Amino acid sequence: MEENLIDNQSTQYIVVDLGIEQYGIDIKYVDNIIRMQNITRVPNAQPFFRGVINLRGEVVPVMSLRRKFGLEDDEFTDKTRIIILKPAQHEALGIVVDNVKEVVSLESDNIEKIQNGKYEKRHISAVGKNQGSLISLLNVNFIFEDIN
Amino acid sequence: MDVSQYLEIFIDETREHIQNLSDNIMVLEQEPENADTINEIFRAAHSLKGMAGTMGYKRMQHLTHMMENVFSEVRNGTVKVTSSMVDVLFQCLDAVEAYLDEIVNTTEEGENDNEPIIKLLNGFLEGANGETAKEEKKEAAPKEEQKTSSDTAVKGDIKLDEFEINAISEALTKKMNVFKISVHVDENCILKAARAFLVFKALEELGEVIKSDPSVQDIEDEKFDFDFTVVFVTESDKDTVTKAVENVSEIKGVDTVAITEVPKPVATEEPKSAEHEEKKEEKAETVEVAKVENTPVKAQEKKASTPAKSNSGKPVVNRTIRVDIEKLDVLMNLVSELIIAKNGLVSASNTDAQEKNSGFNEQIEYLERVTTNLHESVMKVRMMPIETVTQKFPKMVRDLSKKLNKQMKLTMTGEDTELDRTVIDELGDPLMHLLRNSADHGLESEEVRKERGKDPVGSIILNAFQDGNNVVIEVGDDGNGIDVESVRNKAVEKGTITQEQADTMTEKEIIDLLFRPSFSTAKVVSDVSGRGVGLDVVKTKIESLGGAIEVKTTLGEGSIFSIRLPLTLAIIQALMVEIGDEKYAISLDSIQAIEDVLKTDIKYVQSKEVINLRGNVIPIIRLHEILDIEKNEEDDDNLIVVIIKKGDKQAGLVVDRLIGQQEIVIKSLGSYIDSGNKLISGATILGNGDVALILDANTLI
Repeated sequence: MEENLIDNQSTQYIVVDLGIEQYGIDIKYVDNIIRMQNITRVPNAQPFFRGVINLRGEVVPVMSLRRKFGLEDDEFTDKTRIIILKPAQHEALGIVVDNVKEVVSLESDNIEKIQNGKYEKRHISAVGKNQGSLISLLNVNFIFEDIN
Repeated sequence: MDVSQYLEIFIDETREHIQNLSDNIMVLEQEPENADTINEIFRAAHSLKGMAGTMGYKRMQHLTHMMENVFSEVRNGTVKVTSSMVDVLFQCLDAVEAYLDEIVNTTEEGENDNEPIIKLLNGFLEGANGETAKEEKKEAAPKEEQKTSSDTAVKGDIKLDEFEINAISEALTKKMNVFKISVHVDENCILKAARAFLVFKALEELGEVIKSDPSVQDIEDEKFDFDFTVVFVTESDKDTVTKAVENVSEIKGVDTVAITEVPKPVATEEPKSAEHEEKKEEKAETVEVAKVENTPVKAQEKKASTPAKSNSGKPVVNRTIRVDIEKLDVLMNLVSELIIAKNGLVSASNTDAQEKNSGFNEQIEYLERVTTNLHESVMKVRMMPIETVTQKFPKMVRDLSKKLNKQMKLTMTGEDTELDRTVIDELGDPLMHLLRNSADHGLESEEVRKERGKDPVGSIILNAFQDGNNVVIEVGDDGNGIDVESVRNKAVEKGTITQEQADTMTEKEIIDLLFRPSFSTAKVVSDVSGRGVGLDVVKTKIESLGGAIEVKTTLGEGSIFSIRLPLTLAIIQALMVEIGDEKYAISLDSIQAIEDVLKTDIKYVQSKEVINLRGNVIPIIRLHEILDIEKNEEDDDNLIVVIIKKGDKQAGLVVDRLIGQQEIVIKSLGSYIDSGNKLISGATILGNGDVALILDANTLI
């Protein structure tokens, strides 16, 4: 019983690199992780959209978190990945990350909610502590809300 | 009795009959003496009554019964069709429709007795013939008697009156077959009447039922055990007739006996067997009795013997099955994927060492043919004639005519033009809206029309036709047209635009204002239109279907709204072009020509680039600039210009390279990307797996 309780309180996150920071994405929103592929630019689209890709016959828009967060533009390497997010009742969306590091389980004790302050900060819902390093946990729902 | 399993059929068939009635009553209004139409209406009302009765909808049955009675009198010539009668009949139809809607929603017919309408109908019956109403009552009594007498009569025997004997003799001289058919219905059958009805229906397709025992009325009311007998005149042979009846389910036994001579001394043919001889005698006897007994029921009998001639002209109904639209969508998606896979093969074969295996290429071409055909057939399954939406318009325009107190007539052409079913379903409201607009705003009042020397009857048109890969539907009127100045003033007054803007705007731009939300020019808000939820909704709907709408108008002469819709939504033929390093698709049906243009041929008009192409001045659009693509430095002397057209407008698109024609599957870009000006109508997946965007020629122009 006690073990179950602890399990229930921990959440799995995919940890990715973006610039010098580490971000965590709740695994329940992640549909797929794919290697970098040709992205077709869409003229006149919002600047944070890199374009669209073909994901198994469906056209999926791809967004650059770096552009969204005002970081330097993406540099595509062997390690660059596109993470396909697909929350319930939303269309799929890809986000470009520099590198996918690992999957970690964070217990709620190690997650610290942060106050929703400035706009830039609202993409982050909390900060997780894992073996001494800090992981910014992405607020996936806000990313989707923010597009429209 | 549980009839719920028949509910769906009942609803569908009732709708059909209502539509049929509506069409025919419209005809009747024009030609009050048309006997075929009157018969048709009578039959439809009769079927409605029977169906409603079987399903236990008493109020609906009563109402349709009254309609049937009125038509029975019309057919007998005792009542004349008048304009007020037609009005009441339409009210009846609306009432029946209301019952049906109620049934669709709740499976109950509701509480409305529609007494006023029934009273009006009774008025026609009494007004024209004081006796009729009473006769109705009398009629019921002999019927009862007849029923009991037929119950006691020897099974399989049948009484004929003079009229029926004449019919038989006439049929025989025409070398038609006459059968006496005894039908035995399965004892476990729940809906005996319905089965019997189906038998009659099957028979009426082959010929004419001249007599039935018990009477048609009693059979419909389920006043029979499990057997009934009919006398039937047909050109078909015995086996066909027997089969037709046996095909009706829950029919246990059919006994078909040919009647080869008239059951009366006038018979010219020799009796062929002893059995027939015997029958002849039996009949001759019963005829005597029937002659006396049947006179009051004559009106009733006449009904059963409606001329068979009109039946033979009936179109052969297509054999159809109902398919869930979702299943079709799945099929369609599979075809799409097949085409993508095929495109993959095509591009693979292009990159491999060519020429080596011509066999491979042949197979790909074969696959291409198959996928194209497959796609076409799946698309065709989804096609429906636009008639399914337009058929309710004549009545609507008629109602509007009464309501607005203007005379108008609707002329429709090309109702058999076919469109994708999903489009058809969405098209009803916009079209209805445009028609209302024409009736209310477009057409002038009768006095004004006379003053202007126009036909006092306003004309509204609805034309549909196919134009390449598009279907065009035009809704127009010969009314006042759009008063551009009045729109201009109104727009300023409403604050939609400023006075300065108004002064510089062209006529076309002003007219486009009409498509903005909450813009109605009707000075008075009427019941029909003018509430400001109007053309903008129409426009949004049409655009969501991938179509476009435009207006042509001449002040004083009328206006035409033309809607252009893509024939198919999912797969199109496209021209692939390259601009910089990017590939784009342009729908083939918006392309008029591809031209090689010398740079020196480009002229400037109002500092915009144009070319003069065989007398047409066509504006040039540099796709590099619009699409924000870096220009390749190599500066040729020649430009490749793709000439696109929208309606009668043209434009030339400058591209770097032509790749070729390809069948592409349209995919949506999704709702996240907002490219502002809708230049991109969608995306497609190329053979190599990359995504190419589809340029929307309509917004470019």
